[in-house]
Amino acid sequence: MPITTTRRRLLAGTAATLALPAFARAQGAVKPRLTAISQWSAGSDGAAITALGKKFEEKGGVWQHSPVPGFTTEMMNKLRAQIIAGDPPACSQLKGPEIAAWSKIAPTVDLDAVVAAAGYEKVVAPDLAKLHKPGGKWIALPLQIYSTNMLFLSKRAMDKAKADKPPVTWADFNDLAEKMKTAGVTFPVANGGTRADDGQKFEASLAGISPTAYRAAAMNLDKKALEGPEMKAAFVQMRKITNWMDPNVGAQPYAINLKRFVDGDMGMLIMGGWAQGVLRNAGFKFDDFVIAPGPSDNGKPVFLLNADAFIFWQRKEPDLQAGQALMAQLVMDPAIQTMYSQITGSIPVRTDVDLSGEGWSDGQRLTAAALKNAVANNQAVLSLAHNMAQENGLTAAMIDVFTEYAKNKTIKPEEAVTRLAEAVEGAR
Amino acid sequence: MIWVPLLLSAAHLISFSIWTIWISFTPSTLVPVSGWVGLRNYNAVLASRNWQIAFDNLLLFGIAFVLLSLVTGLVLAVLLEQRIRGENVLRTIFLYPLAVSFVVTGTVWSWLLNPGIGIEKLVHDLGWSSFHFDWLVNRDMAIWTIVIAAIWQSSGFAMALFLAGLRSVDADIIRAAQIDGAGPFRTYWRVILPTLWPITITVVVVQLQFAISAFDLVRALTNGGPGIATQLPALVVYDLMFQRSQLGRGAAAAVLMLLILLAVLLPYAAWRYVQRRQATHA
Repeated sequence: MPITTTRRRLLAGTAATLALPAFARAQGAVKPRLTAISQWSAGSDGAAITALGKKFEEKGGVWQHSPVPGFTTEMMNKLRAQIIAGDPPACSQLKGPEIAAWSKIAPTVDLDAVVAAAGYEKVVAPDLAKLHKPGGKWIALPLQIYSTNMLFLSKRAMDKAKADKPPVTWADFNDLAEKMKTAGVTFPVANGGTRADDGQKFEASLAGISPTAYRAAAMNLDKKALEGPEMKAAFVQMRKITNWMDPNVGAQPYAINLKRFVDGDMGMLIMGGWAQGVLRNAGFKFDDFVIAPGPSDNGKPVFLLNADAFIFWQRKEPDLQAGQALMAQLVMDPAIQTMYSQITGSIPVRTDVDLSGEGWSDGQRLTAAALKNAVANNQAVLSLAHNMAQENGLTAAMIDVFTEYAKNKTIKPEEAVTRLAEAVEGAR
Repeated sequence: MIWVPLLLSAAHLISFSIWTIWISFTPSTLVPVSGWVGLRNYNAVLASRNWQIAFDNLLLFGIAFVLLSLVTGLVLAVLLEQRIRGENVLRTIFLYPLAVSFVVTGTVWSWLLNPGIGIEKLVHDLGWSSFHFDWLVNRDMAIWTIVIAAIWQSSGFAMALFLAGLRSVDADIIRAAQIDGAGPFRTYWRVILPTLWPITITVVVVQLQFAISAFDLVRALTNGGPGIATQLPALVVYDLMFQRSQLGRGAAAAVLMLLILLAVLLPYAAWRYVQRRQATHA
């Protein structure tokens, strides 16, 4: 495409060059300060953001992080209250399509200049970049990436079933689960009972059966795709998975069952890469489990993308503006991304970070390779269960169907397909 | 100056109610915005599966909880009234759950009722291995676990009111009944209990408004699950407003809840009004 000079481009360029020294000036004159809110308060997440805060302070900044423990929506309630009060934090956690939705209710910082200066756009997966520049301008920066459909296998359960390699397709997965069951693994699938947990079972099923159908149905809400044969197949697979789960879990999170998983009482866990951080934090060893990409019927890895990000809210105070500039630089820095991902078990957003060195696990290397592979084959899609594919309202309406289907075995797969299409229609 | 605080709280209450009613007619999503969408939010809420399940659950929960807590409270009060030893201790024990937060109640019962570690496991370990009590994870029965926990929590309240009522019954009437040859059961059934009507109505109204606005107990005990089998209106309101960022629909659901409450409270107010008029005429 030839580069033409339009008035808009010229204006944007001027704005960027004006903004850049302003950032630099602000940083020189005052002590940078950052008010930030996120849901990361404990465990590996809390440790990682605390480490990021330390780096911020090392660069001469004042770090004021207020964590809001619980689900992301709890953090959003605080954010909403602060925005309505006219006092947004300089920077807050937010991700996926919510970035676009929230950017309409309060002014955000235009980060184009700092992103361009760091040459960041070249090293971010295009689908991901799009989410962080609604309206064409960077207003948020992704921090770390997880795949929500990683497959964790209990070493002891595999030994019981005399299996030595992870399943590749759903048929392999189903075989292995049967083998585990006959070999005395009480529940071949380890699970939690939260809504997101049930949603993950479905998205992993559908994306593994057909990434194309997933893109059309879950991401684009295409009516024909939502009623297509792949949807029914996904519900059939999900029913198989739920039949292998412990029905007594109730509404508890998956982490409750990690010990039973490691002990070989439960076999396989379909979970985001963060489970590695949680397992390690709970004191389990790398020998206790095996990590593999989630089952994919065409044999090539499917990557269900979940990326945490920071959005930057406009503030007038020079020290906060300086803090935002410093924070943006830190978040894009490969060394910082390395440090962060090594604590949480995620993989860096930058595709140019080398994961071969010390401090990375095989699981992370494998995840990064899977992402590269999936992007090359157009099999990297956005996670529905973790609010990357749709806004909260639509996601919740769809998860209602998944969670009911997971707990009510009398709902037939074809009924579930109809209900899902209706739920999407009703929530639009 | 009793009117200032009363005015303040009335203004507070009314202004927020009016604000919520207004929001329910606007297209508000993430934050409140102005605009007019008519009954669209109401239609969307009424058509949603979540609300329908929540409404059915409310009927079942409201009726079962109020009746059972009434009966439990009355039985406890009658038993305590028999001038037994250690009444003070027992009364404190029965009343104590009322002092516990609903979140604590919900959490404790969620462990007790969990089939894998709670009561079912205990009975299995005692040797009765065919014992089955999985209501918490059974979507048809899960609503009853909320009834159980709610009764445990608030039947002490009903007991306390009934006990006060029983104690205030004129001893002469009871003696007269005994002289007429009525046995203890007959005395209670025909003479004492009929005097408890006003207290019964108070208990019913107080418990009903608790049932309609029940939130923290359900959130801690089942969080609306398994699936969405134990949704209640207050959960739906919270979910719409704060989880789904659909303020307009959440407000519409809140207004619907207010209407349900009014359906309970208005007849009560009318009854009180009639009673008072009769009293002044007599």
